[in-house]
Amino acid sequence: METKKVTILLESGDLDKALCAFIFANGYASLGIDVTMWFMLWGYNCLKKRRRLFSFRRAIDPAKESAYRVLETDNMLQPLIEMLNRGGAQHLPLSRLNLMGLGPALFNVMLKKKGIMGLQELIRSADELGVKFKMCQICFDAMGISVDDLIVPNVEVKGVAEYARDTMEAHINLFI
Amino acid sequence: MHADKEINVLGKACPMPLIALAKEVRAMQQGQTVRITGNDPIFEESIVEFCREGCHEIVETTREGKTVSIVIKKTG
Repeated sequence: METKKVTILLESGDLDKALCAFIFANGYASLGIDVTMWFMLWGYNCLKKRRRLFSFRRAIDPAKESAYRVLETDNMLQPLIEMLNRGGAQHLPLSRLNLMGLGPALFNVMLKKKGIMGLQELIRSADELGVKFKMCQICFDAMGISVDDLIVPNVEVKGVAEYARDTMEAHINLFI
Repeated sequence: MHADKEINVLGKACPMPLIALAKEVRAMQQGQTVRITGNDPIFEESIVEFCREGCHEIVETTREGKTVSIVIKKTG
C-alpha cells in the first residue's frame, strides 16, 4: 500500500494556531501517516529556545551556518529582530483575547484543567512520532536564525522547490 | 481478558489517547495485545478510527459508565 502523506505549513506565531497545527500533525502521525511540517516567518517562534531580552546572539559559526545563510549581507537588523521576536513555545500570544499576555496564561490553565496537551508536549511528541521538520531558508537568512536556536533536532533548511515537490506528493496540505 | 500491555489515559483529552496508543503499538510485535482505558467523550471513536486506519483488530470493548476499555491486537 502506498504511504499516505500530509504537509502542514505553519506561518503564524500565535499560540492557538500553532496548537492546531501540532494537534493535526500528531493526529496524522499517530495514524501512521507520513507528516512533514514546514515553518515560515513567525511559525518558527514555537520552536525557538527562549532567550533573555538583551542577550545578543551567540557567536556565529560561519562554517556551519553558511550552509543555509548569506553571512556577508547580515546587518544590525538580524540581532534587532531576534531581540524583539523572542518566541518560545511557552510565551506565544493568542490571536484573540490576548489581553496583554494574560490571555495565554489563562489559556494554558484551561488546557491543563481539561487534560489537553500543551504546545511543548505536542512538539515533543510530534518529534517522537517521526514528524519531519523543514524550515524555509530565506526566513532563516533574513531573521538570522540558526538551527541551534530550535528545540527540535534534525531540522532541514530547504527552499520552495522542495516545498512544491512535497505538497504535490502529499494528499493534503494545510496552511496555518 | 488479559492483555500484554496496559495504557491508562483517564482524564486525558484528544489527541493524547491516540498518541499514547500509537507509540505503544509501534513498539509491539505482530499479534500482541494492548488494553487502553479512557473516559474522554470521543475516546472510543478515536480508537476505532485508529484501528481502521492501521488495520488493527479490536478484540474486546467494555463500558463502565463513562469509562471505556478497549483491547486491541496488532495485526496491521
